[in-house]
Amino acid sequence: MKRLYLFQGGIHPSEQKFSQNSPIEELKAPDRVVVPLSQHIGAPCQATVAPGDRVRKGDRVGQATGFVSVNVHASISGMIRGVGLFPHPLGRPLPAVEIESDGEDAWTDNLKPHEDYMDLPPEALTEIIRDMGIVGMGGAAFPTHVKLSPPKEKPIDTLIINGAECEPYLTADHRLMLEEAENIIEGARIAMRILGVDRGVIAIESNKPDAIDKMKGLIEDIPELEVLALKVRYPQGAEKQLIKTILNREVPFSGGLPMDVGAIVQNVGTLSAIYKAVRFAAPLIERITTVTGSGVRQPKNLRVRIGTPTKALIEACGGFSSEVGKVIMGGPMMGVSQYSLEVPVVKGTSGIVVQPFSEVEEGSAQPCIRCGSCVRACPARLMPTVLGVFAQLDMFEEAQRYDVMDCIECGCCNYVCPAKIPLVQLLRYAKAEILTRRKAA
Amino acid sequence: MWIALFCLSGLGLVASLGLGLAAKRFAVEVDPRVEEVERVLPGVNDGGCGYPSCSQFARAVVEGKAPVNGCVAGGEDTALALAEVMGVEAVIGEKRVAVVLCKGGREESKTKFTYRGVENCKAAVLVSGGDKACPYGCLGLGTCKRVCPFDAVVISEDGLAVIDTQRCTGCGICVKECPKGIIQLVPIGKRVSILCQSGEKGSEVRKKCDVGCIACETCVRVCPFDAIFMEGNLAVLDHERCQVCGLCIPRCPTHTIEARDGPFPPVEIMADKCSGCGICSMICPVSAIEGDKKEVHRVLEGRCVGCLLCIDRCPKDAIGIEVPINSAVELASR
Amino acid sequence: MAELLLLIVGVTLVNNFVLTRFLGICPFLGVSKRTETAVGMGMAVIFVMTIASVVTWIIQRTVLTPFGIEYLQTVTFILVIASLVQLVEMVIQKTSPVLYQALGIYLPLITTNCAVLGVAVLNIQKDFSFVETAFFGFGGSLGFTLALVLFSGLREKIALADVPRVFQGTAIALITAGLLSLAFMGFTGLVK
Repeated sequence: MKRLYLFQGGIHPSEQKFSQNSPIEELKAPDRVVVPLSQHIGAPCQATVAPGDRVRKGDRVGQATGFVSVNVHASISGMIRGVGLFPHPLGRPLPAVEIESDGEDAWTDNLKPHEDYMDLPPEALTEIIRDMGIVGMGGAAFPTHVKLSPPKEKPIDTLIINGAECEPYLTADHRLMLEEAENIIEGARIAMRILGVDRGVIAIESNKPDAIDKMKGLIEDIPELEVLALKVRYPQGAEKQLIKTILNREVPFSGGLPMDVGAIVQNVGTLSAIYKAVRFAAPLIERITTVTGSGVRQPKNLRVRIGTPTKALIEACGGFSSEVGKVIMGGPMMGVSQYSLEVPVVKGTSGIVVQPFSEVEEGSAQPCIRCGSCVRACPARLMPTVLGVFAQLDMFEEAQRYDVMDCIECGCCNYVCPAKIPLVQLLRYAKAEILTRRKAA
Repeated sequence: MWIALFCLSGLGLVASLGLGLAAKRFAVEVDPRVEEVERVLPGVNDGGCGYPSCSQFARAVVEGKAPVNGCVAGGEDTALALAEVMGVEAVIGEKRVAVVLCKGGREESKTKFTYRGVENCKAAVLVSGGDKACPYGCLGLGTCKRVCPFDAVVISEDGLAVIDTQRCTGCGICVKECPKGIIQLVPIGKRVSILCQSGEKGSEVRKKCDVGCIACETCVRVCPFDAIFMEGNLAVLDHERCQVCGLCIPRCPTHTIEARDGPFPPVEIMADKCSGCGICSMICPVSAIEGDKKEVHRVLEGRCVGCLLCIDRCPKDAIGIEVPINSAVELASR
Repeated sequence: MAELLLLIVGVTLVNNFVLTRFLGICPFLGVSKRTETAVGMGMAVIFVMTIASVVTWIIQRTVLTPFGIEYLQTVTFILVIASLVQLVEMVIQKTSPVLYQALGIYLPLITTNCAVLGVAVLNIQKDFSFVETAFFGFGGSLGFTLALVLFSGLREKIALADVPRVFQGTAIALITAGLLSLAFMGFTGLVK
């Protein structure tokens, strides 16, 4: 099996996949959940419940506003304790719905399963996906129905099923592919029906040979699907890089999207959720989250309800093993450090990585020595060193001309920089400033 | 010699004819006043007038699109000079200076986490809103200092941005660039400011900062000119109404209110003019004047807050005060 | 033909007006902060130098020498150059106000630029023919533009670097110019 790696740059950090052999464990529904009204890219939801209301699992608690928006649902049954500002993974209090459990964990009966889902027209399928609140589960949380509705001017010929899971430490998708492979494949078939494509490529990094074999076995009778093993390289699982590796097509600079080159990428977790939403009318109320890092006693892959506070997950893994340095929501490359364990799990929480204090890097930034490591490592083919200097000198016009808006914030430049310059933060600063100035104009 | 003269003159004539024709052919309309205006302007290109460069502002003034007092950094002198060039009357507004509405430094306020990253407030704000526990607090990483064209910002040892009112010209760039939006422009004579912008409940503020406004509303009650009102959980000062008496300052339990540019000097009663009527002692809101009827009154040490009500009311003009220049201007206009 | 090519190579690279002969340093340092303005200035200098070369040669051969008034060379040459620069200034102001603003006072500075007068005088000294004069003037201005554009590229990069306070501004620019000169010394001996 040829191991593919076509994109330029990238890094190979230590994989640290020590939770890859832990089967998915169900985390009991907590006594209290906080469901944020903004867990996705796009407009936040409007709360459709008020304190005192009774809800059951699967009831809608937040209504989507606008096209690029999805609903949010209750992940436990109980009573609405409050609707207001609560801690959020983004680091500031945001509107959310607090639900207190009634201990019954009862499903709502407002759901309509479809046994013959492959007979439904694509529009109906997309509508279900939107209603059930499905978003990209790889971490970005982009509304899936929007991704599956490219405009007619952009014809699509391939669906890429993203099982790369290139971030170190994370193993949620790996376990999903081993334990829920059929769901993923059915979800892929649904997505391919919606898009009208007859080619689907399942992309898996070669450090997951058992998943590769499992998938290959299941798709023997499905000619439209194929499995491709990828060389282990971060960020293999990033959309643009994946498309380059699998199809050898380059998504254009300056705001290009995968649909511009005829491809759509979907995470395996998203596809499994799509299948469950369409077949069983299951709204997105739970996900697999890897709780790992040397800072927890027993790393595990947990099936958690959306809205569970982080501390419940840490407790389920035996608690902290030593003095805590960082608690990262997501992977160590692109995740967001948290300062409170009250923060709830949201739809995009693929993992929680706990770094003990002893592992946190000390030291501050040194001057750039022009070594060029960052330029070699950048998978988006940018020059982080130059962009970093532009950001420091507030030269945003020049930064824009050097394509800073195409930065995918993967963190490769930060990782390789021997001077420990905070490049990702500088580039994010430049991007934020440029967007602010665009809006003001 | 004649040949030389002839040749040279001939060449000169040819050249001038050529240039004259060219001048007609390539004529460009330029108002000479633009150059005059440009010469008067400070030439800093700070953008306070709203135009990206001094030359563009100059053009706008001559075209009538910008007012002659549009150059904030240049101040009164520039406005008057521009008015002369344009042949119009200049309207001088009161000079304004910038004030950072936060006094919670590293000592007084708490942080949410240890921040290690770019030393720039705008970049730090991208990381969970900055490391300060209070979301309205000054991060002290110096974005305002960097953008100030007049070098008027100092970052104190306590990690707070402080504006040097001597250098500040009120151009307003720091106000725009502060990512927390906590810098305000106030008239230079209005020396009192409430140094907090926290909209959080008092109990929350107490947990995060020793000197934040806890919405106890004491200042609102104390102000004799009704110049303070509550906006949600924050006390706000109306500078139009504020008479800079300074009464609110000692009454604030968290010491959130401060006066810029020095304390208030005490008043002095001139013994040779005082008739002992006692009006000053009656109206003094802090009971800082005492004396018997028909006897010369005196000001008690350390009590006077400089509200100057007694000066207003003394029928014998027997009370005086040593004031710094700014306050004198302000007094004169009262 | 080969002679003329060698002439151009010689004056552009080997005996570069700015970096080897050290003429025209003022606009060289003044306009080289950004590459766009440098190119614009270079174009203006090419026009002025080439035409000035030719016109001054003609005047020397038809007016000054026949009438024996070679001592008026400096005055007449400056007259010609000044007029040409005025013309160029007018054209630029009309056609590209942006460039006009950007160049500022450096445009009329081409007049007092010793490089232009230098090329005119050198043409006479070297006793060139008409064609040789034209090529020499063109080549000289080409060399000037080359040096200017190279230097502006370097200066743009230096603006991003962490220059020690003592060297900031003109100091580091002059040091860089010196190093660029050294580099151009590598062309010595290319043309005999």
